[in-house]
Amino acid sequence: MNRTLRLSFSLKNAYRVNSILYSLKQIPFLGRLFPDVLYQVRGLKIFANVLSVIWEIVSIFLGKLLYFLIMIAGAAALYERADQEAVFLHILFLLTMVGAFMNTYIFNPTRDKYYAMFLMRMNAREYTLIHYAYAILRVLIGFAVCAAVFGRMSGLAIWQCLLIPFFTVGMKLTAAAWYLYRYEKYEELPNENDMNRLSWILLGLFLAAAYGLPAMGIVLPEPVSTALMVLPILSGALSVKRILGFAYYREVYQLVLAQSAVQMDQAKKAAKTQANRYIAADTGITSSRKGYEYLNELFIKRHRKILWKSSLRIAAVCLVLTVAAVFGVCLSPEIRETANRMILTWLPYFVFILYSINRGTGFTTALFINCDHSLLTYSFYKQPAHILRLFRIRLREIVKINLLPAAILGAGLALLLYLSGGTQDVLNYVVLVISLPCMSIFFSVHYLTIYYLLQPYNAGTEIKSATYRLILMATYLVCFYLMRVQMSTLLFGVMTIAFSLLYSVIACVLVYRYAPKTFRLRN
Amino acid sequence: MRFVIDHLAKRFGGKEVLKDISFGFESGKIYGLLGRNGAGKTTLFNCLNRDIRMDAGAFFLETEQGRRDVRPEDIGYVLSAPTVPEFLTAREFLKFFIDINEKTIPDLRPLDEYFELVSIEPEDRDKLLKDYSHGMKNKMQMLVNLIAKPPVLLLDEPLTSLDVVVAEEMKQLLRGQKEGRIILFSTHIMDLALDLCDEIVLLNHGILEEIDKANLDSQEFKQRIIAALREEDDHE
Repeated sequence: MNRTLRLSFSLKNAYRVNSILYSLKQIPFLGRLFPDVLYQVRGLKIFANVLSVIWEIVSIFLGKLLYFLIMIAGAAALYERADQEAVFLHILFLLTMVGAFMNTYIFNPTRDKYYAMFLMRMNAREYTLIHYAYAILRVLIGFAVCAAVFGRMSGLAIWQCLLIPFFTVGMKLTAAAWYLYRYEKYEELPNENDMNRLSWILLGLFLAAAYGLPAMGIVLPEPVSTALMVLPILSGALSVKRILGFAYYREVYQLVLAQSAVQMDQAKKAAKTQANRYIAADTGITSSRKGYEYLNELFIKRHRKILWKSSLRIAAVCLVLTVAAVFGVCLSPEIRETANRMILTWLPYFVFILYSINRGTGFTTALFINCDHSLLTYSFYKQPAHILRLFRIRLREIVKINLLPAAILGAGLALLLYLSGGTQDVLNYVVLVISLPCMSIFFSVHYLTIYYLLQPYNAGTEIKSATYRLILMATYLVCFYLMRVQMSTLLFGVMTIAFSLLYSVIACVLVYRYAPKTFRLRN
Repeated sequence: MRFVIDHLAKRFGGKEVLKDISFGFESGKIYGLLGRNGAGKTTLFNCLNRDIRMDAGAFFLETEQGRRDVRPEDIGYVLSAPTVPEFLTAREFLKFFIDINEKTIPDLRPLDEYFELVSIEPEDRDKLLKDYSHGMKNKMQMLVNLIAKPPVLLLDEPLTSLDVVVAEEMKQLLRGQKEGRIILFSTHIMDLALDLCDEIVLLNHGILEEIDKANLDSQEFKQRIIAALREEDDHE
């Protein structure tokens, strides 16, 4: 037992330390400073070990703090009229019930389980029990601290706060024992990453009960929920026996890990099957064009599901929302006033909206996995003139696909501005109609450009470029940050138009210069 | 015509994978490239196909008109894991390929004739390539590389995972296609190399060397190849 404990933790730690070292090497520019043999350097290893231990401790609390802050205490505070203690316990009780079944720890398919039990052939039962005990201990400590902090703030008594961690652990143990019982009896297993319809419905019901009922003024009375929390502690204690006595852990993990994509090759395969699924099997699709236009047209038609169809659907939603807003503005003077003010100051918000509805990343992923991944191994495809020709065609397509929803939003906003009382400066209308399509063009150009300049995938369809990831993340952060900016629509709109045009020109120049060299399979 | 590699070198970080590759390949022959795991066979092919940049050296073609640079269309590259655009049908892929390369393809023929060359049945010709089996994808990849008739054809372990029937078909096909071009065929399987190839070249410790068959029978020749690969190993 002792040996398994030591071995499995050092295995998990080695895996984590190596991941930290690997990510250090991936940092653009800075990564080059680290030697190739960085996995041997003692100082770096110690540094990564320290980080690993810190993370082990921080992660006990981090997720749970956020969970209490947002999902429980924060949400409870929204029901101002209700009794705070009762709402707090009401939400906590219901969420814990669902959570116990959705996140059991024992059935989580993780990579270290695969390494330990299958590659290293450690004893499955010992390994599982040790790790499960450890996971439960972490839950106990994390919940004890969080419940004490947030429970006291919501006005619960100390003994009630103390009850919470034991209730949570009791629920988890009960759920685990229930699943193990199901397996023994019917050979059924939960798959936590791919829930079935019934689980989704139950999840929805519990969430509705947790958050919906208090909104209607129905809350479990405090004594009731407190009493209900005692029961799982008893059932949890009884469940321990079943968990300890369960004899088929190896069998269970064989199934759990096979279902999930923790094995390296399977992860790749999963991405590929996913992308392959987007290809329409309809061979009635044809094209009368020639050469690269032929290739492009077939690609667009066979990927209609993730390109045009989804863009049209988004456009329809935009249209419906616009019509609804038009009705709102016509019927209510209050809405009219708010709408007018919002349209004249909230344009930055639409950067994020257009970011969210842009099909750019889906397009480039499909382009790579279903098309470039294979064709880039043919030398004719890599001739500079051909790369640029196809780039032009693709840019035209992705701009077209993304433009429709943006144009509807732009025109819709201008119409709403007019109906909600209008504005003195006619330029505002022009800016609205032009700037949203410009933003959309910007995103289309942006994604295609970074794809061509960084070509982040290797032959195994994994993303190998840290720079590419950083740019994607930065794009998200900038768009997210812009939601908080309030600026006059005229000013922001003009700035956006200028920026989008400038960016597009620069991006195309860069692609023309560098893409023939950079658009290659990575090693 | 000759395909000449001149002092090609490539290193990854501190590791010199290809030290100093110099060799002249004659047209009309199939060369078997043998080397141990990790010897750098795929790296060499990737350099020749310009998928990765080499650190030093050059390669070129020597024709009757004199020496000239290798253009991308001069090289055909068939990978061990077949890569074909999965959203196209076999016929569409072929049409696309011919559209692009029609100026350089000698004696263009109807599509179906090409399919017959690699025995792809009529009912399979209009299926999406994503539904093709491994062997069929391999045939398609080989076919596309044969149509363009590039003077240099690089084959990276192409027959290893094919069933015996398809493998035999492909061997016949390659033998029939070697006239007027250089075929460089990398493999781990010595019997395959001896059966198919006219010359055996070893890639070992970053250098290419030809093993002369002289008057040896195939058993003696095998011994000699293995000895050569081992010997080099002992130097280290």
